This record gives sequence, structure tokens and C-alpha cells, in this order.
Amino acid sequence: MQEKISQIKDEYLAKISSVNTLKELDEIFLALFGKNGVVTQLPKEFSALEKEQLRVISPLFNQTKQQLEEAINRRRTEVREEYYQKLTQEEADFKTTVPLKSRAGSAHPLLQFEKEISDLFGKLGFQLFDAPHIDTDYNNFEVLNIPEEHPARDLWDTLYIDTSNVGKLANQLLLRTHTSNAQIRILENFKPPIRMMVLGRCFRYENLDARHEHTFDQFELVYVDKGLSMANLQYLSEYFLQSVLGKDTKVRLRPKYYPFVEPGVGIDGLCLFCKGEGCKVCGYVGWLELGGAGMIHPQVLKNGGIDPNEYTGIAWGPGLERILMLKLGVGDVRLFRSGDLKFLKEARYI
Amino acid sequence: MRVSINWLRKLIELDITNTELVNLLPLRTIGTKEATEDFIELDMKGYNRADLLSMRGVAYEIAAITNSNVLFQEPNGDEYIWNNQTLPQVDVKVEDTKLVPLYCVAKIEGIEVSPTDPTSETAKLLTDSGMRPVNNIVDITNLVMLEYGQPLHAFDADSVENQTIVVRTAEEGEKITTLDDKERGLMKTDLIIADPQKPIGIAGVMGSKSSEVGSSTTTILLEAAIFDPVTLRRTVTRLNLPSEASKRFIHGLTKERLFQALDAAIRKLGGKLTALTIVDNLNQTPVSLNLKLSKVNALIGIEFTPEQVEEYLKRLNFSLEKMSENAWKVTAPYYRLDIQVEEDLIEEIARLYGYEKIPAKELQGVLPKPIDQSLFKLIEKVRAVLVELGLSEVQTYSFYSTAVLSNLEKDKSKLVKILNPISIETEYMRDNIWPNLLEAAIHNLKFFDDVAIFEIGKVYRQNQLPEERYILSTALSNSTDNPLLELNTIFTRLTTALDKAISVNSQITHNQEFHPIRNASLEKDQQNVGLIAEVHPRIVNRFKEENRTAVLEIDLKALL
Repeated sequence: MQEKISQIKDEYLAKISSVNTLKELDEIFLALFGKNGVVTQLPKEFSALEKEQLRVISPLFNQTKQQLEEAINRRRTEVREEYYQKLTQEEADFKTTVPLKSRAGSAHPLLQFEKEISDLFGKLGFQLFDAPHIDTDYNNFEVLNIPEEHPARDLWDTLYIDTSNVGKLANQLLLRTHTSNAQIRILENFKPPIRMMVLGRCFRYENLDARHEHTFDQFELVYVDKGLSMANLQYLSEYFLQSVLGKDTKVRLRPKYYPFVEPGVGIDGLCLFCKGEGCKVCGYVGWLELGGAGMIHPQVLKNGGIDPNEYTGIAWGPGLERILMLKLGVGDVRLFRSGDLKFLKEARYI
Repeated sequence: MRVSINWLRKLIELDITNTELVNLLPLRTIGTKEATEDFIELDMKGYNRADLLSMRGVAYEIAAITNSNVLFQEPNGDEYIWNNQTLPQVDVKVEDTKLVPLYCVAKIEGIEVSPTDPTSETAKLLTDSGMRPVNNIVDITNLVMLEYGQPLHAFDADSVENQTIVVRTAEEGEKITTLDDKERGLMKTDLIIADPQKPIGIAGVMGSKSSEVGSSTTTILLEAAIFDPVTLRRTVTRLNLPSEASKRFIHGLTKERLFQALDAAIRKLGGKLTALTIVDNLNQTPVSLNLKLSKVNALIGIEFTPEQVEEYLKRLNFSLEKMSENAWKVTAPYYRLDIQVEEDLIEEIARLYGYEKIPAKELQGVLPKPIDQSLFKLIEKVRAVLVELGLSEVQTYSFYSTAVLSNLEKDKSKLVKILNPISIETEYMRDNIWPNLLEAAIHNLKFFDDVAIFEIGKVYRQNQLPEERYILSTALSNSTDNPLLELNTIFTRLTTALDKAISVNSQITHNQEFHPIRNASLEKDQQNVGLIAEVHPRIVNRFKEENRTAVLEIDLKALL
């Protein structure tokens, strides 16, 4: 048996060092460690051995097995490195154009949905406005009536930026928790009438599961003019939900607290699955919570240099991923940023 | 706030069923988290309605929205138990009256501590309210807190050195073993209750083990206080010790309810009140606000009559003084600390009327002037062209995964770093998108032998302060040993469609991330605006993938 083992070892070590491709190495690996590989099969013969013999053979076998594995791995790295070295002999060609393979391209379902929404509100004269992802605590919270250590901060678990290397603004920079960080920029930079929409990525300190994401997109309208009312807010909510969920979608407003609006509003849509009867999707309440809104708080208007006695404002925003998940019949919010083409290419409205 | 239904029905003359109430609450007041036969849990997360953290406050609110009567009376301040006696003081020193605007301690002797019968009505009330029965003393302080919203804390008087209380900020490094038997380090920013020797409680958060009321306790020092909510919230967050009491301190308390609660507790506890100290530096004056009918109607979008406005506000216990036919001076009841501006009053009117009854009104007025939309139009165009050319759009995180960080040997010191990452997968922000696309492409190569993807998004670069910019990135792996050829063709088609001239400068690179020959910088007006390259097979191999993959990245500004 000892002889047999050392024979296998010598034979295969020689083979391993003589081959030059990964493919050959894979074949050797299979010949040794595959289901019918010689190393795999060898222990079957051990039952015939005396205990004394086994005490010698067993460690020898294990040692050989390890040596062979290591040899393959080492050779694999060598073959790779040889191949990497040869890359310098390859050519780069930025002049020739080639026929493109035929592929079915696809837009990301979330961004596609966002495009539909911005087109929808574009028709009402709303224009897109871009705001940064990394922002100050002031723009994201304070100016919106949410001072430090205010209990309302519990609504936004926040990711902060480490600024220790620049030695300033400690705890003052964060990843925006909502698109509302655009509000102060809009109010300060434009004179009413204002019809803006803000769209984009927001972040929260949130552990991932099928219903929670630390990264999500928000859409928000900032609308300032003379004489705006909650009745306009009802109109915007109906206009939106009936467009994206169906013409007969019922919309209902209810009180909700956000520090930067007063009155504050929660937007519900009648559950499109049970039509209000109550089902698993709506948690047996018949209505789905689909967004938040309100009349912009006079203090926020003032902070933006707009006279609240002359103008009123509406801030309005639906939960994009939530609504899209309903439309796609998708149960896992993480799929949107998984990069998984099986999901992305097949996502269709139901 | 978990509202016991049995208890609620003892406080209001309520004509509606539990189901009707559960349906009505979110339409008029606040969302509910859970409702059973025994309780309704109000969703108080982040809310500003401190009054709803008491059964009495909830009763007033529900009485208003159901137009029913409460079955209790507002206590009259003249009848407080301590008003008709002359009592000695407990020795109390409050170091900073800004942090502790109101601090009361009552010494009660002749207390008998007994465990709570788990089948008693008290036990049921407590469990329905989400609290655990402990003993008669703790239970009374908890029930009083639930009813009035004012937390109370009982110290075993014999464990308090000289029965002397000092309310102060902690010394750096001072320690306390709290009721839950854990030793906790304190900081200068923490407010504590101490005796002359040692801390006996973290103010508003938790008492010390050593001063806990136990079976041998006969004398207690009963504390009722208002602490600075900001200081308290900081301590609660740092120690991760939220409690029913701290929640109430943080949301805000009133002097009226504090005295009501202290009086009620002393009466229920039995024993004899033998000393009392009240250190009162709190000046709470009710806010008076001007309210105009025209503003109410303009903001809600409904024509209310003056009578309607008056009725709604009176149901909520607001007092109104008529200033003219259609204007009032309105004063909120003492327990409504959230009422600060006229719009707050208008919300009260809107919700009592019912938000769901407000009709839709089309937008009017002139449209604003057009502003520059070129960035958004470009993004749209790029997306359309690439989809047309057969690429699939993906979205990846704004962070680098640990796999990307290690396989690409990223220099972390150059990346924007998160101070409080959720996990090591969200600690560093991406400064390019292509590494994430490479990772996504490799994931997909397990299922497809051809992957062509793109993402338009932001990258974050560390400058003096973090900078962000929009870029376009693509990745292509097409089962050939030169995917760059096809990717370059796609790029040419894109720039042609956008009518932009971008020069491709082929180079020899020592950048270990890329193929030594097949890589180029993208330039516009002699400025580097991106790259196009085959990813070095070594990097691809580290992701346990063999297929050759090419990537492209370009600053969107160059395509504007």
C-alpha cells in the first residue's frame, strides 16, 4: 500500500508540473479527487489492512492528498501568472467597430417607473431638481424643523460621514435620509410660483430584509404658490395614484406628523387586491399606506425666504418602491439593487 | 402607547365598538400598530403628541373625535394632599435648573411592600398596557404614569445616604449599577440623581440597584420631575436604554400633570407623607394664537362656518375668545404642548372634520419659468440609446462590498467613509461604478454566458469635503477573449447618437486593475473624463470567474 501511494504521488506530481493549461489541471484534479478519482477510491482498500499498518498508512495518505492538492493549486497560480504575463502580447484596437451581438436591452424597472412619474407631473408643469446625496445635518434636518435630539429624529435612522480626516464638520455630514434636503435649496433659489420635483436615492440606517432597504429612491413635489390648499393635495394624490394604479383607485388622506409640514398628511390608496375588503397585502385594513405629504410648515417657508402670509406650499411624496412592488407583484425590495438580470429583465407590471 | 380598552372605557362614555374605534383613530388622530380585544397600540414613533402618552390624554382625544364625554374631572389644584399641611423638606439640591426645571420629592413613611397578585385587576391593567406587574409600590407608580403621563420613581429611603438628594451631571468615569444589574459608565453629559456619596439613578432613565424598593422597604422617597429632553435623549441613545418613562420625558411633560400624578400616587400608596420638596423653576404659559376663518378655509380648501370651527376646537378643549365675526384668539389646553402656530390649529379643525372628506381641487395659477433640465434629458437619452443597443440597466449600491474592496485592493484611505456603517458592506462609498458593475456582471455570468449592463448614478470622491458627480458606467462580458472590441463599438455608437466627440487615448498602464494593453483614457478638451478598458483577468479570477470582462466609465458632464 505504501508503495502504491507513493507511486500515485510521483506519477501525478510529474503530470501536474508538466501541463500548461487550466483545463488540463482540472482534468488532473478530477482524476484524483473526482467521484471515481484514484485518491477518492483509495481508502476503500484500507479495510483489508491490519491496524498496525493502518497507523502508518493513514497519515501518509492524508499527507499525500494534501501535497497533491497544493501542487495543483500552485500550478494553477503559475499557469495563470504565465497567462497574465502574456497579456502584454495582446493588442488593443479602438479603431475597428464590430457588429453588435443581438441582445434584448432593458431599462431598470424602478427608473422606468420614475420616468413615468416625472412625465406625469411634467404635464402639470413640474420640473426636475437635483440635490446632493451627501449633505449637512442642517439641510437634511434642522432647516426642516427637526432640531438635534428632537424626538422626531426617531423617524430617520441616519448614516453619518466620517470627516475625521478633514478635521471639520464632525457629525455634520450625512447621507440624505429623504429628498426633502432639496426643499431649502428650492425655496431659497426660486421665486414662487414654484413647481419642482426631486427624484433620487436616499439612505437610512436599516438592516436589510425583504421589506427593508438601507438604500431607496424617493420622489417629492415641492409646490409653492398663492392659495394652495389640502384640496390641491387631494387632487395631486388622486392624479398620481389613479394614473399608476388604475382609474378607479380610491384615495384617502389622513393625519400624519412630519415636522416640516402642517397640516401633515398620510396618503392611502384603496387596496388594489381586495378593493377594501381586507387582505394579506394591506394587513387586513383595506387601505395601503402609499405616501406622505402636507402643507409646507410656515417656519420652513420662512427659512427659505418665502413669506408664509403671502404663499402656501405643498410637499408631497409617494413611496416609490412600495408602489412598484405592488405593480410588479414583487415581494422582496432588495431585488431592485441586486443587479440580478433574471429579475430585472423579466419584471413586468401585473 | 398601548391603550388598555377596559381602562379607556372607564374614562369615556363611549358609544362605538372597538372595531369602529380602531378604524376611526387613523382617520382622525394617529395610526395604530396593533389592535386586540384588550388593547390598541398607537404608533407614536417620532410623533409630537406628548399628550397621547397618557390615558387621560388619549381619553380627551377620543372623546373629541367621537363627540363623547369623559368620565373624569380635571383635578383642582387646591385639593392636593400637601396643600393643607405644613411639611418639612427633603434635603434636595438641584445643580442646574435649566436641565431640571421642576423637581419634587415626597417622603412617605409606613410603606408595606407586597408582591402583585397576577390575577388581580391591577395586573390585568398593567399587562394590557404593556407593562409587567412587580409589587404594589412599583405598580402604583406605573399606573399613575400611564394615567397622567408623568413618570415617577420611588427610591428606598434608607439606601439614600442622609436621605439627601443631589441632582447633578455625572463626573466623567463615574459608574452606576442600574436596576437591571448592569454596571454603566457615565459621562459629563449624563444627568444623574445622587446622594452625597454616590449616584442612585440616571435621571429619567433608570434607578440604581442599591436604592431599589424591596420587601424590607418601609420609607420611600418618591420623585416626580421634569428633565431637559435633549440631555435625556442623548443619554438614552448612548446607553441604548429606552423605557416607558424616558419616552415620556423626551416627548415633554407639564407641571399640571406632574402635580396631579404626584398627588394621585401619594393617595394610592398609603403610608404617611412626612416631607416634601418642590424645586420649581418651570415657566409654562399656554400659547395663545390668532385664528382667522379665512385662513382656515384657504388652507383646507373647504368653506367652514364660524360655528363649525368653534365646535371642533371646543371638543378638543381649546378655549376661544372671539375677536371679530370670523377671528378668534385661541388657547390650547395645558396638555397640548404641540400647538405652536396657527397652522397647528387648522390641522385640528381639518382632522376633526375628516381629511378624507376634503374634495380634490385642480391646480391653478400660472406655470413657473422653465429651468435647465439638460442633465435629466441627457440621462434619459443615454438610457434610451443603451437599451436600444441591447444593454440592460442595473442599479447597484452606493457602497463597495467587502468583495470589491479586497479583490480590487482598494485604497480605503481615499474613499468616503461612513461613521456608523450598518455592516462592513456599507462602510465605504463607491468612487467608481465599474467595480460594482463587474461584481454584478460576475453574479449574472453564473446564469448567462453573455452580460451587457450599465448604470447611471453618482460616485463619491474624497476631496477636502466629499464630492459627488454623475457618471455612466457599463460592463460587458461576451464569451470572447476580447470584449473590449464590442464595448468600444457600443461607446462609439453612443457618442455618435449624442453627437459628442470624445477621444480614446490608448495607453500602456501599470494600473493592476486593467489589462496592460487594452485600456484607454477618455478625454474631452484635453481633460480626462473617463476610461474604457478590459478588467485585468487577475481581478476577474479573484471573483472566481474566468470570462473576460470590459468596462467603461464616463463623467456625464462630458456628454452634456
